[in-house]
Amino acid sequence: MSGKRIVLALIVAAIGLVTLVEGARWLDRTFAFRSPLETPAGVEQQPPTPREQALAAKAEHEREEAQKKPYKEAEYRAFPVIGSRTAIWIVAQVKLLFAAFVLAVPMFALIIEFIGFRTKDVRYDRLAYEFVSLLSPAFALTAAFGGVLTFMLIILYPKFTNYLMSVFSPTFLPYVLLLFAEAAFFYTYYYSWGKVGKKTHLFLGVMLNLVGTGIMFIANAWLTFMMTPNGISENGAVLSVWEAVHNYTWMPINIHRMIANLAYGGSIAGAYAAYQFLSAKTPEERAHYDWMGYVANFVAIAGLLPLPFAGYWLASEIYAFSQTMGLTMMGGAFSWLFIIQAILIGCLFLAANYYLWMGMGRVDPEHRKRALIPLLLGVITLGFMVWATPRNPITTPAETAALGGAAHPILGFFGVMSAKNTSVNITILATFVSFILYRRSGKTPRVGWAKVGSAVQVVILLLAATIVISLGVIGYRVEAQVRIGLSVPQVLSVLFAMLLVTFLDVLMLRGAGSAKIHWGRMPERSQYVLIFLAVTFTWLMGLMGYVRSGLRQHWHVYGVIRDTSPGAFTPTLGYATKVVSVCVLLFFAQIGFVFWLASLNHRKKSEPYGEIAEEGGGDGDEGSALPSSSSPAPEAAP
Amino acid sequence: MKVPVIVKIAGLTLGATAFYTWVGQLVPQKEVQPPKVVEIAQDVSTDQMVKIGDQIFHGKGLCSTCHVIGGGGAALRFPDLDGVAVRAGKRVPGLTQLQYFAQTLYRPNAYIVPGFNPGMPEIDKPPVGLTDDEIKAVIAFLQTQGGKATITMGTVLPYSKEANGAGPEEMGGDKAADGGSNGAAPAASGGDDA
Repeated sequence: MSGKRIVLALIVAAIGLVTLVEGARWLDRTFAFRSPLETPAGVEQQPPTPREQALAAKAEHEREEAQKKPYKEAEYRAFPVIGSRTAIWIVAQVKLLFAAFVLAVPMFALIIEFIGFRTKDVRYDRLAYEFVSLLSPAFALTAAFGGVLTFMLIILYPKFTNYLMSVFSPTFLPYVLLLFAEAAFFYTYYYSWGKVGKKTHLFLGVMLNLVGTGIMFIANAWLTFMMTPNGISENGAVLSVWEAVHNYTWMPINIHRMIANLAYGGSIAGAYAAYQFLSAKTPEERAHYDWMGYVANFVAIAGLLPLPFAGYWLASEIYAFSQTMGLTMMGGAFSWLFIIQAILIGCLFLAANYYLWMGMGRVDPEHRKRALIPLLLGVITLGFMVWATPRNPITTPAETAALGGAAHPILGFFGVMSAKNTSVNITILATFVSFILYRRSGKTPRVGWAKVGSAVQVVILLLAATIVISLGVIGYRVEAQVRIGLSVPQVLSVLFAMLLVTFLDVLMLRGAGSAKIHWGRMPERSQYVLIFLAVTFTWLMGLMGYVRSGLRQHWHVYGVIRDTSPGAFTPTLGYATKVVSVCVLLFFAQIGFVFWLASLNHRKKSEPYGEIAEEGGGDGDEGSALPSSSSPAPEAAP
Repeated sequence: MKVPVIVKIAGLTLGATAFYTWVGQLVPQKEVQPPKVVEIAQDVSTDQMVKIGDQIFHGKGLCSTCHVIGGGGAALRFPDLDGVAVRAGKRVPGLTQLQYFAQTLYRPNAYIVPGFNPGMPEIDKPPVGLTDDEIKAVIAFLQTQGGKATITMGTVLPYSKEANGAGPEEMGGDKAADGGSNGAAPAASGGDDA
């Protein structure tokens, strides 16, 4: 280096150093804390003015007062704009939607993987893997929302959260350990796919499901305790943690959530398949995602059908715990919520049936069994209308006077539980018939007793319908305690009929001839129906989550710990539906991101899929409910 | 122009959500506030107690959630309280009208009206949690259902805090609160209105 350069470097270094020092001094002058009483640097010390003395005395007084301030534990803290209650509501609901999804998908993925293992059909295995691949980002989002919810509870409801922790602290360690176990089993299950023996892999899947269910059961104990507390004294002191866990609604909620998660998870997976179908570039992709959508929808409907029965059990336990709470639910502040629920479930049943009916288009016209569709549509629509009819319509005083009372003289009869129970059972039966007809499309039974078997199936279904309707009519003429009991034989007759007809169908279609199923030959609107189903299921989850939690009204723990926060009131149903919608949109915005991530993973792996045809001589039920052929037809779906 | 799939899906999601939100606006909109403690002065008249009791019956007490007054013979989950003032004095042998009312509010499972299931909560305990004074007002209102209100604020009800939770027997049988079903003046035990 030349001497000139060295000099230049020294000059630059000196300038840099000066700049640095001056910069630091400027920062110190501008931003460093200065006591108002401190004499600025460079100013000669002057005796304080009277004003400065007064200010100093005031500051000293304030400091002394601040030191005397007693520590007081906050009972509540406010969340800006929307309030603490709504903030917790939204976070808890979105978290729950993700949690339900990550609990549900492993359940049916495992079943599909098992079918693939038993049938040696690799496509089931791929399908199960694709379902599970949706879980990875969803797990992260569930955990993130769980963390946010916990912090928000501690910040916004510290006293109540502290109480809940004092009751359930013995459950926390098992919960955390199960969370670790779930992460371990999930990632091992996902990343070891195809790399370990199938039986070992299935075992990992079983463990993942068991651990996930255990986590849900523990979390359910906390929330059901708030609703139907047990194991505590009148003033809230803990007497038995096990009894606090094993409260009135714990097991009904456990079962109800397991089934509902299955239905909901199936619908969300169906929406993913629909999105992929609509974005598909090749007939093979369309065929694959049509099949995936069908399987997912099958899972959703299989979960939906028994759900009302689980709901009966939950409702009966609520009544058993507190008639007041039960009547608040069905006849009080929340009674109109069940009209909204009826609209949602009506939409679910209509959309699910419509999808099944469109699905018959996958077989050639001569094999379709569409003759009964108008009748089924009529029955389901009628059931929907009865279910959505309120006991007391919204009327003006003049209209009430004209009606001769709060209830309509004719339609009022459809507003009571006898009519509601009857309509929902008949709707379930009609949907089941739709499924059986779809299942029969393209099938030619080869057993000798096929005609007799079909006739017996019809008789069983008609008998079940007759029992349901007759008991519904009898319900109008008997005392309340008898009427409530009639719902049990109604439900049992429907369940029994579905089991018996399915059993006969399996026997009849064993070895049946099968027409080709043109997977992918579905109109685009069928995929929008799948997405609509997913939105409706999610919205329904949000609504029913609200009623379950809202039933506590102004209690954190019903009848024990009162909510004295500004959000203790029960909001209008209009407000509640807006919050539910916000939760649903937030969830779909994020699950859309999950779908996009999953599509990046799978799109490039898509292989020629072709047309899946069902061949005769399948191995039973699953062969017809799910495509089981291992010999794809050469021509692609249109 | 072809609309991208993602836009169509977003539109469907928004549309379905908006539809359900709209349905939610069509049903009756009622905001239910937590009940407030009803302050009842000790010198209110029986007529004023009836009015207060009416409000509690249809509000804080949640009585009208389960009971109707004049149900027109329809099937009911819980007894119709039309004319209950007449029946109350004859329901349970040994209990006067007022004692019966007190028992059915403080200890509802001690006697269940035939044809109905137990389900009434102890009204002085959560979740309803009425005070003794509020319960007196409710009884005054119930006494007007087929009869005349006779209870006063000075009446000591069996099972109440004023009676230290004692039932009619512990309070001295017929010396316990007795409003009578025929409009006779209450013979309270320890009350200042006897």
